[in-house]
Amino acid sequence: MGILGFYLRKLYTVFKGEVLVLPSRVIVLLFFLVLIFLPVVTQDPYLLRILILTSIFAILAASWDLLSGFTGQMNFGHALFFGVGAYTAALLNLHAHIPPWGSVPLGGLAAVLAGLIIGIPCLRLKGTYLALTTLAFPIILMGIVFAIPDVTGGELGVSGLARLSGSRLTDYYITVALMLGLSTIMWKITTSHTGIIFHAIREDEVAVRTAGINTTRYKLLAFSLSGFFAGISGGLYAHFMRIAGPANLEVSMSFTVVIWAIFGGVATIYGPIGAVFILFPLLEFLHFWPEYRMLMFALIILLTLLYMPNGLLPWVRNKIEKECPRCKIRNVATRSACRVCTAALD
Amino acid sequence: MKRSRFVLSVLVMAGLVLTVGFPAWAADVIKVGVIGPMHFMQGKGHWDGATLAAEEINAKGGLQVGKKKMKLELVKADSNEFLSITDATSAMERLMTKDKVHFVVGGFRTEAVFAMQDIAMDYKKIFLGCGAAHPELCTRVGKDYERYKYWFRVTPMNSIYLVRVCLVNLATVNGMLKKELGIEKAKVAIVAEKAVWIDPMIKAIEENVPKMGMELVGVWRPSATATDVTAELTAVQRADAQIIFTIFSASVGITFARQAGELEIPAAFTGINVEAQKDGFWAATQGKGDYAVSMSTFVRGVSYNEFTEPFIEKYISRFGELPTYTAVTYDAIKSTLGEAIEETGTLDAEKLIPVIAKAERIGVAAAKSKFDKNHDLVFGPGFATGMTLQWQEGKMRAWWPNGWEGVTYKGMVPYKIPPWMIKKYKK
Repeated sequence: MGILGFYLRKLYTVFKGEVLVLPSRVIVLLFFLVLIFLPVVTQDPYLLRILILTSIFAILAASWDLLSGFTGQMNFGHALFFGVGAYTAALLNLHAHIPPWGSVPLGGLAAVLAGLIIGIPCLRLKGTYLALTTLAFPIILMGIVFAIPDVTGGELGVSGLARLSGSRLTDYYITVALMLGLSTIMWKITTSHTGIIFHAIREDEVAVRTAGINTTRYKLLAFSLSGFFAGISGGLYAHFMRIAGPANLEVSMSFTVVIWAIFGGVATIYGPIGAVFILFPLLEFLHFWPEYRMLMFALIILLTLLYMPNGLLPWVRNKIEKECPRCKIRNVATRSACRVCTAALD
Repeated sequence: MKRSRFVLSVLVMAGLVLTVGFPAWAADVIKVGVIGPMHFMQGKGHWDGATLAAEEINAKGGLQVGKKKMKLELVKADSNEFLSITDATSAMERLMTKDKVHFVVGGFRTEAVFAMQDIAMDYKKIFLGCGAAHPELCTRVGKDYERYKYWFRVTPMNSIYLVRVCLVNLATVNGMLKKELGIEKAKVAIVAEKAVWIDPMIKAIEENVPKMGMELVGVWRPSATATDVTAELTAVQRADAQIIFTIFSASVGITFARQAGELEIPAAFTGINVEAQKDGFWAATQGKGDYAVSMSTFVRGVSYNEFTEPFIEKYISRFGELPTYTAVTYDAIKSTLGEAIEETGTLDAEKLIPVIAKAERIGVAAAKSKFDKNHDLVFGPGFATGMTLQWQEGKMRAWWPNGWEGVTYKGMVPYKIPPWMIKKYKK
């Protein structure tokens, strides 16, 4: 009892000292709690559907950020990973009768392979050239899909897949848990040693190479990791929608991911996730004004990016928190002195 | 002051209780979801056809459901299915859970309809398809009847029948060229826009042309939005093609017809040209669109039965344009659903399905319509056939089925061979 009390007190101290001191961490905690306990308040199937799809797309947007935001490898064809994951999961489920818990990770692995296949030829390219080349890959895959309709279902896609689970509520918890888990993993990757190298590659690849780091290996790693997470989201999408079709590979899908990530704030992981959780339900909400739906959506994005060029979430974070000029620790914006080194905050 | 605030509070509370607490008010209406790409002509057709049907039913006091009359309330759902399958499924889910519709009509893009169909089946709601032609949508009913029995295809005929009609049209034109111009073995050119859905059709036509005693001289695939097809037309002319089989769904159909008219290409047309199904085609081709051909559902002045012409006239006067096949939501609501509801006196899908599945209905888009065991629209003489139109002297006319299998509809005319072709080949 005494040991339990000790650990509980320790947990509380850590919680108080590490989480409650920063508004951004409190917001993240609330985000986790709201998603976990929402079904206690409502189990409306439409709302759960929107949140399931939002969670799936949040994984996709964060995976784009992992590659393009952190390493600067501008990928305009992210739908390729999503589509490969979706088609692989669908075909394995339909023909090999592998249930979703097996087909979804295998879809992720197939997307890793796709990441390596496109990563290798793309290593020589940078900037606009890389962006345009990656844009071509989902289009090429779509050509393959239409070329072998007996396998891929052609324009109809692969339908009649097994459901993720037996109920909407379980689907919700599966996708939300995966989204929270995978996002945390992606965030941990970016704060790790590997993540620092990703950052450095984006800033100055030559300097990183000069330091004796094999940037080729790290760029391929970024392609593979990003492909894996995007493939998982594709597999989840296919099983939730019960269809994998050419729409998964459309150019609009690739660009939507980029819009989400830039709106939320690139090179943050949390930015694209937050953006999806704002924009995807917002677009659904705007159905009440169908004539102005896309116009209002575009206006919101334009105005946000005009006044918050680094993205919405970093802007909000900078409004509610300040970084200490001396020790770089973040503090709540209302503080006048750093909570760690007591240096004066501007 | 206090008193007025009290009265206001009571009124607000009463309002809330009456609107929230008594949803039974809504129980006297039949809610029909109309789902389609509402910002495109296909979705507009869905909505306009459904609107006419609902207005006509409601003008008579509604449908007789058992002992009470129930009015129809349409719920518009923009599926945005050309751009996003996700949007389409969310719209369907909204119809099911938020709007709580009793029935759904519409759908267009097959990939989206597959996903929407599954949602409607999950909620065991009758979904009357009015746009997607792929056979698999109905094959599902045969494979798993208990799950997919709520699906019926009201329009169009499935794509197998569409290809069959194309080939029948081709054979008819071939016979005419043989009879009128003495061409024994006609040379056929296929000119089809670059679109994936067309590929299987081309394959089927390529396979069948030699079997039908004709010679295929080539396949040309201009862009769907090409503004100049003179290169293709010149090549077709050099190949000595006597029949041009067109498959166009986009604006290239206008370019092709206009330039073929300008160049007076000596060949007869058959096939599909969606732009030619519209009233504005003649003006769009600058008066050069004569002899262009397309399969269609409605042609002004041509009737499958006594209900077709009044429907077309009413539709044109109300919406200012000729109805397209997605406007057959009119039949879906008025005859398929409406008559079944009145016959059974219930909105219960389980009781309605056997009645809908077995009945023969007289709507506006076919002489009679009924469903096969897979709930697919039956094709053939006496049932759905569609019609094939040709532009003649600036007017849209229907020339098929003019005697095919004994079927002729009121207002049909014979096919016309372009005069420059007659001039070239008449011996």
